[in-house]
Amino acid sequence: MEHDPGSKQLRPDEPELDLYTIPSHTSWFLWDEIHETEKKGLKEFFDGRSISRTPKVYKEYRDFIINKYREDPARKLTFTEIRKSLVGDVTLLHKVFNFLEKWGLINFGATLGRNDGFGEARITVKVEEGVPSAVRVAANPSDSKPLSATPLERESGSGSASRIALPPLVSYSNVFGDLKKERLVCNNCGGHCDSGHYKYNEGDFLLCTKCFENGNYGENKLKEDFKYNEPVEKSGNTGVEWTEAETLLLLESVVKYGDDWDRVAQNVQTKTKVDCIAKLIDLPFGEVPLGSGHRKGKHSGNLSGSKQGQLSLSECQEAIKTKSHEQANDSEQNGDTANQGPPLKKQCVTSLSDSSSSLITQVSALSTLVGPHITAAAAEAAVTILCEETSCSKEIFNAEDDSVTNGLQSPAINCETERVLQLEDSEMKEKPTESASHVAFEKKDGIPPTLQIRAAIATGLGAAAARAKLLVDQEDREIEHLLATIIGTQMKKLHCKMKNVEEIELLMENEYAETKEEEDSLLAERIDVIQKTINSGVPRWRDHPSLKS
Amino acid sequence: MKGHAPKGTVKKFRMPTSQNLVPIRVDFEVEGQRFKDTFTWNPSDHDSEIVKFAKATVKDLKLSSNYEKAIVNSIQSQIEIFRSFQGQDMYTGERIVPIKLDLRVNHTLIRDQFLWDLNNFESDPEEFAKTLCADLGVHDPEVGPAIAFAIREQLYEIAVQNVASARESRLAKKGRRGGDHTPLSKASSTGLDLVKSFGHKSTVIRKRKEWDVYEPIVDLLSSEEVDALEAKEERNAR
Repeated sequence: MEHDPGSKQLRPDEPELDLYTIPSHTSWFLWDEIHETEKKGLKEFFDGRSISRTPKVYKEYRDFIINKYREDPARKLTFTEIRKSLVGDVTLLHKVFNFLEKWGLINFGATLGRNDGFGEARITVKVEEGVPSAVRVAANPSDSKPLSATPLERESGSGSASRIALPPLVSYSNVFGDLKKERLVCNNCGGHCDSGHYKYNEGDFLLCTKCFENGNYGENKLKEDFKYNEPVEKSGNTGVEWTEAETLLLLESVVKYGDDWDRVAQNVQTKTKVDCIAKLIDLPFGEVPLGSGHRKGKHSGNLSGSKQGQLSLSECQEAIKTKSHEQANDSEQNGDTANQGPPLKKQCVTSLSDSSSSLITQVSALSTLVGPHITAAAAEAAVTILCEETSCSKEIFNAEDDSVTNGLQSPAINCETERVLQLEDSEMKEKPTESASHVAFEKKDGIPPTLQIRAAIATGLGAAAARAKLLVDQEDREIEHLLATIIGTQMKKLHCKMKNVEEIELLMENEYAETKEEEDSLLAERIDVIQKTINSGVPRWRDHPSLKS
Repeated sequence: MKGHAPKGTVKKFRMPTSQNLVPIRVDFEVEGQRFKDTFTWNPSDHDSEIVKFAKATVKDLKLSSNYEKAIVNSIQSQIEIFRSFQGQDMYTGERIVPIKLDLRVNHTLIRDQFLWDLNNFESDPEEFAKTLCADLGVHDPEVGPAIAFAIREQLYEIAVQNVASARESRLAKKGRRGGDHTPLSKASSTGLDLVKSFGHKSTVIRKRKEWDVYEPIVDLLSSEEVDALEAKEERNAR
């Protein structure tokens, strides 16, 4: 078996050669020689210290391992496979094996994934199934006959040159193919048919709606043979349609029962527990009723009703605004904040309150008919109601020292506004009579008094929201202030530390200078002594301790 | 050359592996219950660690405190033995010995045979065990350490023999001047004949019919077989 050691070079003039790929940084490799790289990487073989580690031995190891690998380049050669065939210290063999693997001479591009199924087929370990020879396993304890070991086929391959053919390398599409959504492709034009398709009755042929309408039915196919198929929905919503009544029921039951999904599912009879949860999460404000449901305990079913009312109210306020030239800026502002305050609720509940849309359109139509002055007067009435309202909402505020989320505020206020509503209902009845004096208001009687109540609710809410914002601002400022003081103190601390360190440094330097001085003086003394002894003619005094350094 | 001591020298006793860890086998009976465990210990650890370890083991396995003392004693005596060898000399010629594996860990039975160079101080039984388990697809995480332990035990034994033989050779030398060929042949009596295997005339590639012998065999046992084997082992131990 010949090879091409070059890096991916194809030699067309030698067709009998098999092509093996090795990385380009291993192009030094030659069958007939041992390169410097090998000598450096595996020094043990080349220092001549041992009988068992010689270049010849190394070359044999290397050639055997590489040939073994090249018998089947697609599968990854394991150390265990070759170590049984080579005589020598296994640690050293492992080192050679790792060296070759590192340089890409073996296992370069081999299947790295270790599927258990592949592993079993690939390795040449004989897995003996059945009873081990030393054990007699009887079927029953009293039975003396041992179970016969069923002679299973052994995964042979040991020693044989033929390898078990492996399936081709797994590609991306094999693994991930079924995860992709199945897009239906039109057989005629090749585009995706997402929005319904026509299936041929007789065979396997799909047409997108466009082709069908254009009359491109494909060869020999008639119009009648095609059946229309609805587009398949996303797997998340397969077939689960939620009507508004059901959604409303769901919300109510969640508010009532909180986390008790069994009862919620019972309440919403047509949907399972899982569907309920999924739908709730899907809704844009899905978490809020849970949170408020937990905190506030039981709410009456009126809650959702009042939510609806409040929002249809804010909408109609908007409608009024757009149609009129406002002079009462207060109510406009309040209307604004009311709109901004519970934006989340507004989004979702509008989907629920379709039934009241006719009311809103009625109201807005009326307001356009009525004219600006009357709408201004209506707004004024709303303001007066607000004044009565404000005290209540202030009480609410002080009692509730909760976090400033709209979700929490609104149910609280709604509770209170319920009460207030009931109180004011009686008052409201008086109001119209009062304002009946105004000619303009006669027409306003046509607008139900609940409208005014709702106006009050919205404005109250708006005031609460505004106040909340102010509080938030104040908190922010406090935080900033505190941060500034913290930073200031930290800076001072650092300064003090630096001063300390500098002082210590100075001290150290002084000490160092002093020690140097002492050293010098000592040296001078010694020189002195030696000089004196020399002068006095004392004989050589080699071992005197004063001379020893 | 790092990791390989020059031929025929004498070194202070230590485990011939890259990490000088002693294999410790604890096996005793307390209150009618048998406690068996194997692990590796670093002899340079302070003795107080033994007590700590015993305490932790007893706590983890929720055993009574009687076990603790027995564990400590067992570990200590084995380490003492190891330390008594440590001061002595060890003959470290090149010697390639066969190491055999025949052990059962939970549901896995392993039989294997391979060669190990006692003089290779870079050798690492743990790494060998890890490669073996990975290559054979053994998933039980207890198998690797058990294999490493078995290898260590055998190496320990052979190393101890080396100490004995070094002592003997010294005695022999004292009795007779010159001629240190005898200890060499004695020491490598159980090892591979290096000249024969690695010399110019021979090849290091094993004969095919011998490949089976040096191949690892893994058995996966069923629960009944495991029980049967355990019962048999206990009977043998009694």
